Amino acid sequence: MADFVLPAQQSLIAGNKTPADVTRDICHSLEGRPTPLWWGGFLVAFSLLLLGGAAVTYEVATGIGTWGVNRTVGWAVGITCFVFWIGIGHAGTLISAILFLLRQRWRTSVNRSAEAMTIFAVMCAGVFPMIHLGRPWMAYWLFPYPNTRGSLWVNFRSPLVWDAFAIGTYFTISLVFWYLGLIPDLATVRDRLCCGFRHKLASLLSLGWNGSFRTWHRYESVYLMLAGLATPLVLSVHTIVSWDFATGIIPGWHATIFPPYFVAGAIFSGVAMVLTLVLVARKTMRLEDYITIRHIDVMCKLLLLTSGIVGIAYATEFFTALYSTGPFEEFAFLNRAFGPFGWSYGIMVSCNVLVPQLLWFRKVRSNLWMVFPISILINVGMWFERFVIIVTSLHRDFLPSSWTNYRPTPIEISMLLGSFGLFFTLFLLFCRLLPVVAMAEVKGVLHVGHERRVELPATPPSFPSVEELEAVGAGTARGGLG
Amino acid sequence: MAEGKTTKYWKSWKEGPGASPLVQISRDEFPEPLDRPAEQFSRRSFLKAVGFTAAVATAGAGCSHAPVEKAIPYLIQPEEIIPGVSYFYATTCGGCSAGCGVLAKNRDSRPIKLEGNSEHPISRGGLCAIGQASLLDLYDSHRLKEPRLDGKVASWEEVDREIIARLAEIRKSVGSVRFLSGTILSPTLNAQIKKFLGQFNDGRHIVYDALSSSAILDAHQETHGQRLLPHFRFDKADVIASFDADFLGTWISPVEFTRDYAAGRRLDTKPLRMSYHAQFESRLSVTGAKADRRVRVSPQELGESMVRLASRLARFAGAPFPLTVNDSASVQDAVLEDLAKKLWQARGRSLVVCGVQDVGLQVLANYMNELLENYGSTVDVARPSLQKGGNDRELQALLDELKGGKVAALFLYGVNPVYSLPHGPQFAEWIKQVPLAVSFADRLDETSAVARFVCPDHHALESWSDAEPVLGHISLFQPAIHPLGRTRAALESFAIWGGQPKTAYDAVRDYWRENIFPRIRGAADFQSFWDRSVEAGFAVVSADPPKTTKFRTTALRDVAKTTVASDKFSLVLYPKVAMLDGRHTENPWLQELPDPISKVTWDNYACFSPRAAQRLGLEEGDVVRVETDAQIGSSPALELPIFIQPGQHDQIIAVALGYGSKGTERFSDIGPKWLFARPDVGEDGRIGKNASPLLSFEDGTLQYIREGVSIRKTGKRHTLASTQTHQSLTLPGNVPLLGGKQREIVRETTLPVLVADAKSPSSEPSKANGLWPPDHPYTGHKWAMAIDLTACTGCSSCVVACQAENNISVVGKDEVVRHREMHWMRIDRYYSGQEDVDVVHHPMLCQQCDNAPCETVCPVLATVHSAEGLNQQIYNRCVGTRYCANNCPYKTRRFNWFNYMREDHLQNLALNPDVTVRSRGVMEKCTFCVQRIEAARIEARRHDKPIADGQIQTACQQSCPAQAIVFGDLNDPSSRVAKLAQDRRRFGVLEEFNFRPSVNYLALVRNREGAEEKGKESQNHG
Amino acid sequence: MSRRVVVGVFAEEGGLLGVTRAARAQGLKVIDAYTPYPVHGLDSAMGLRPSRLPWVCFLAAIAGAALKLWFEFWTTMVDWPLNVGGKPWNSLPAFVPVTFEVMVLSAGLTTVFAFLVLARLWPGKRPVLVSHGITDDRFVLVLEESNAQFDLDRVRKLLEKFGAVRVEERLEEA
Repeated sequence: MADFVLPAQQSLIAGNKTPADVTRDICHSLEGRPTPLWWGGFLVAFSLLLLGGAAVTYEVATGIGTWGVNRTVGWAVGITCFVFWIGIGHAGTLISAILFLLRQRWRTSVNRSAEAMTIFAVMCAGVFPMIHLGRPWMAYWLFPYPNTRGSLWVNFRSPLVWDAFAIGTYFTISLVFWYLGLIPDLATVRDRLCCGFRHKLASLLSLGWNGSFRTWHRYESVYLMLAGLATPLVLSVHTIVSWDFATGIIPGWHATIFPPYFVAGAIFSGVAMVLTLVLVARKTMRLEDYITIRHIDVMCKLLLLTSGIVGIAYATEFFTALYSTGPFEEFAFLNRAFGPFGWSYGIMVSCNVLVPQLLWFRKVRSNLWMVFPISILINVGMWFERFVIIVTSLHRDFLPSSWTNYRPTPIEISMLLGSFGLFFTLFLLFCRLLPVVAMAEVKGVLHVGHERRVELPATPPSFPSVEELEAVGAGTARGGLG
Repeated sequence: MAEGKTTKYWKSWKEGPGASPLVQISRDEFPEPLDRPAEQFSRRSFLKAVGFTAAVATAGAGCSHAPVEKAIPYLIQPEEIIPGVSYFYATTCGGCSAGCGVLAKNRDSRPIKLEGNSEHPISRGGLCAIGQASLLDLYDSHRLKEPRLDGKVASWEEVDREIIARLAEIRKSVGSVRFLSGTILSPTLNAQIKKFLGQFNDGRHIVYDALSSSAILDAHQETHGQRLLPHFRFDKADVIASFDADFLGTWISPVEFTRDYAAGRRLDTKPLRMSYHAQFESRLSVTGAKADRRVRVSPQELGESMVRLASRLARFAGAPFPLTVNDSASVQDAVLEDLAKKLWQARGRSLVVCGVQDVGLQVLANYMNELLENYGSTVDVARPSLQKGGNDRELQALLDELKGGKVAALFLYGVNPVYSLPHGPQFAEWIKQVPLAVSFADRLDETSAVARFVCPDHHALESWSDAEPVLGHISLFQPAIHPLGRTRAALESFAIWGGQPKTAYDAVRDYWRENIFPRIRGAADFQSFWDRSVEAGFAVVSADPPKTTKFRTTALRDVAKTTVASDKFSLVLYPKVAMLDGRHTENPWLQELPDPISKVTWDNYACFSPRAAQRLGLEEGDVVRVETDAQIGSSPALELPIFIQPGQHDQIIAVALGYGSKGTERFSDIGPKWLFARPDVGEDGRIGKNASPLLSFEDGTLQYIREGVSIRKTGKRHTLASTQTHQSLTLPGNVPLLGGKQREIVRETTLPVLVADAKSPSSEPSKANGLWPPDHPYTGHKWAMAIDLTACTGCSSCVVACQAENNISVVGKDEVVRHREMHWMRIDRYYSGQEDVDVVHHPMLCQQCDNAPCETVCPVLATVHSAEGLNQQIYNRCVGTRYCANNCPYKTRRFNWFNYMREDHLQNLALNPDVTVRSRGVMEKCTFCVQRIEAARIEARRHDKPIADGQIQTACQQSCPAQAIVFGDLNDPSSRVAKLAQDRRRFGVLEEFNFRPSVNYLALVRNREGAEEKGKESQNHG
Repeated sequence: MSRRVVVGVFAEEGGLLGVTRAARAQGLKVIDAYTPYPVHGLDSAMGLRPSRLPWVCFLAAIAGAALKLWFEFWTTMVDWPLNVGGKPWNSLPAFVPVTFEVMVLSAGLTTVFAFLVLARLWPGKRPVLVSHGITDDRFVLVLEESNAQFDLDRVRKLLEKFGAVRVEERLEEA
């Protein structure tokens, strides 16, 4: 990860800001009226959400038959979206937790929105396992609770139960983590305003934060611990999601490589999504000073790395399949690439492996008009990766007699769109209601690059004379006021 | 309170006055002082009283075994009817004219399932798909409920008055009375018709089979001097040569023939032996699919090859062969030579059958059987079959009469000529002109719609009648339910019109007393004979054989040599296994039953061979216009989607009859209704197209083959609902490295190979234990199944049987197109080879794996394993993740994508109360008929003895005419299934994955030289 | 009982850091510091002991995991044993994932809860701000006038030397 560390002499935050500037800049975007751009985005997102909502309502009311799935391909777009969104979520936790542990200070300006993204993504993901059930109103049966059926518990051997717990935990912890980071900033918001809805909200949620350093002290250790917990958690979540398939017997699913492969893919797609969002937020919320080219550069490098991992995974998968000489295994992969769904495999490889190679060039990395489309293409590719894994493995499994094809219905498509609608609606609301940049943390790194620390001589044991103090104090004062 | 005031009711004498101290204590444990005046009637004593009354009543009621003449709702509950307990009526299947014996399973006085009657001399336990499905027709709300006059509902009184009046007139005049019917098996009814027609100066009974075998009868008229249909005995035949006779699928009596055929091919004898079967045919039939040697011939070549075969046999027999032989034709001499040898060696144990409606060829077939001394052994003319009595000449005569308007009265029974005759529309016109046209049809079909009088007959399960499928084998119909509508047995109608009203019961009984009873040897009194017959459902009596003359070689005639232009096709019109002549066209079970060969449901179509389709540049689903060359009168044409059928001759187009009839419009609303649902019926609102206009009459027989047919593309497309889209175990070619490789799903071998490796040990089920300790031993029963692929013909009766037994929904065409059919039992069909394909039928149902992949992944424990090795599905726990279905390597799990309602709610009466009806969003699958297992367990417990092997029969097993399926307890070493598990041919599908399936398959064996090219090919399989 | 405190307000984290060190060096009692963000090194300057919250986290994790693992075994082998796909009663590997998740969950939630309790933070609590702008860009040090020889002028001078923008004396209810 060494290449993510920025040289100490360069500043993370442009424009030589003071803490006051930070507060003003960030809160300003909250207090002003929403830009037309915001409104445009919000309307589009919200109408998509409505479309999706209608589709889901219809599906739940009518039956899963309204999807294109069939006796052979039992899962398709629904579960694809689930895995996709869970993956998106991962980057948030990565940036907020893992990079925190790795002391990557540049994360401070993006981690808030990244964490928000995680939460919203997990929300989107959570919807799909629910609605893809034949009887969604029975979804709570996936949790073991004492009941009058025996008690009849759940099957702890089933990856879906693991999922239920993993997603639940992941969502809770991410939410708590996010909220913890918000508390000081909410206090800031609270203290800037005297009254009004925002003030009330902030006062309620900032828990009476008063900046006491004793609290800061505990706060930091809690934050550290949550980061420590979230890190293995985020890895476990996608590992478990990958087990949904890896523990299955279907050729193309039954692969030991899945956990690392999925986690890497998740981070890959997640970072791409962060990039997309950050680029948008940066423009719309005028945060160019906080989200600088450097941040983008670093994330591009992260993309390059994960894309590499994913690419290797694709290759390995193929190799193991062919090397296994298991007829079904071999066929699953060859069929994946050359069968009826070869096109989706093509999209997957080109978007996830070929396109990101452009990021080797600094010119590309620093050109937002290149980075933005790339980040979007990567997400397209990653969606298709999941589609390929799920559908192409299922549609031609063991008995040729039950081989089928799959074609999504408009209902499924609208659900896919709807999930994006939900995601962006939530994100845009977040941009309006809460500080999108972690002010407290940014203030903490303002001085990186501008050395303003006061160096004190080792204080003598005895009570120092006023003169001595003057000598020292002067320096400080000068430094202090300069 | 004081003892004196309260009265204590005691439960028994011991408990009361004569109570022992012990009882005293036990009573004091639950003291229930009922402080109620003694004279008042307590709840408990009231119940006691009721209980007593009921007991006495029932005891009084059911002691007599008087037959139910009229089923009436309970006033007094008959003894045999215990709510919730099934009981069986032995009766006869009315599904077609084969006259199979069935047991109607009744529950709470309504039939819920038909089972084959294992004692019945004809069917011997099997029952075909149509028989199984005919149950649903009983509850069809579209059946006519009352008589109709001039298209309006009328009362029987009016109808009778009218008809009797008109008949009286006709009696006075010399008007001719014509009775047109399909083959009537009932001797009683035949006699009554005869009697009835006898009252008129000119009364005639014309028999017309829409699927006619008239040529066979005519041929025997010529060769044996008797117009009869011999009783073919495939069980006695070691070598079978069939010329376009689909005797395992649709020809004459498929269930019986299948049973016999399978009997000749059971590989349980030492030394191993199985019959040899050669099939010459142009389209790929179910029978052809089983053949050891299948020869694709065009209809023209068929005749020639018969001549050439006959000439060879004549040579062996040293008899002069009068016909001219031209060996120009495509069939290699070697094939015929080989077959001739085999036949000759098996003289008297061989059989030549021909399904072509051509008297010349039929005569030739008789000639060969004569040379082979098969008459009297495999071809029984002493006790001929009565299952097809059609006489196409007389039919033609009738048509002329009708055209001339010479007919005063026309009775139509069990026929739908307007639909099934080539010139149906004209026929409709003629009927309108007939002063007295009476139809007995039970629904408003094309014919009954134009007939002035409609006097609907009962459904077979509602009526008293009898049937004589084979001379001397007489089978009885008895009602299993009170008639649902105000229908009337034809027997009764005739009795009334004839002047002596008589109930059907009396009619049948009297006929049996006078005509059947005398023919029984060692005759006891009639009553006991009758009771025995009613109980058994049939009686076998002596019969004096028809007087046949010595074989007349003079009947032999040359086969007309026709050649077809290469750009023209010859059209072959064939009956589908489920649809036959279309008499069950309104039966959703049969409509959704995949055709055994094409696997297509809900449609008929024009079958082309792959090469022909390629030549014409046609894709499957393209709609083409089948045009016949200008015939006398009209040149009918038909627009049909095409289906590419491997193994079919390149020069023919095969089209199924029995589709596109009036009444299939009802299926427009069968499937689930939702936003993007597609129509379940064709553009014309019907299921398929009626091909009978393409039939033709030639030298006195109804022709199912038509020469000189041309094809025109229409550019339209029509999706065919096929349940199987990938047709072979060979991997698709476009997949590199693996393209063209075989999958070892089905094992197939040849008899010589099998005999050769008889020494080698049989393949044991893999005992490998995998990762886990064996925590789940099966100490009690261990249910398992064995399926013999050699026996299985793919006839699909098991599929419908399963559907009937387990309340499986019909989903409609659109859902089938979306691959959401619900059948728990399906029959996978694979082709191998290129031009002359081999066919494998592979019944596939839940394999009840011991290490079931589906169970591990279910989050809510909705599918778990029973202590007896059953893979259980708990519907009310299922939340519908479909993970289990994804993880099922056999894809035998079925999901309720919607609430699949019955299109006809009355048909809910056919639901099996022992099986849950699944709601939307729930996974379902084969349960090994667990309800039957439980029933047997209860029965065994009641009699306090273990469950005997064979006591439990799954629905599929019960109905299988070939007895290919065996179910039983693997832990009982003496059980058949346990023995078969040790069989040399045994294999498990995907065993290598250690799923431990409980279904064992027995490899498919073909009786052909292992050295043969085909043999080698099929080695690839296993 | 009330006490007198001296409140020094700074504009720079540097000043705060320095003065804190100096004040403690002079034996002055630092009650608390108030900062808009966690100033690095301030904890050592104030001489704060490392928090005990990690122990809470650790114990909660162990407890959660153990409880869950027990529950899984109990439900699958004891309470209602069912044969699921021929898998053995002891399917430990399959029980690990959920156990892990529950461990993380209980650890995380418990820790945060403990933090809120220790830091006396709760929704809607009325904040007591020692100085305006404390959540913006002000840094505040609060010293206790411990004893008699506490020299207010000297302390004020000290604070101002370190760039205090405002110094005031308050009576604080404790």
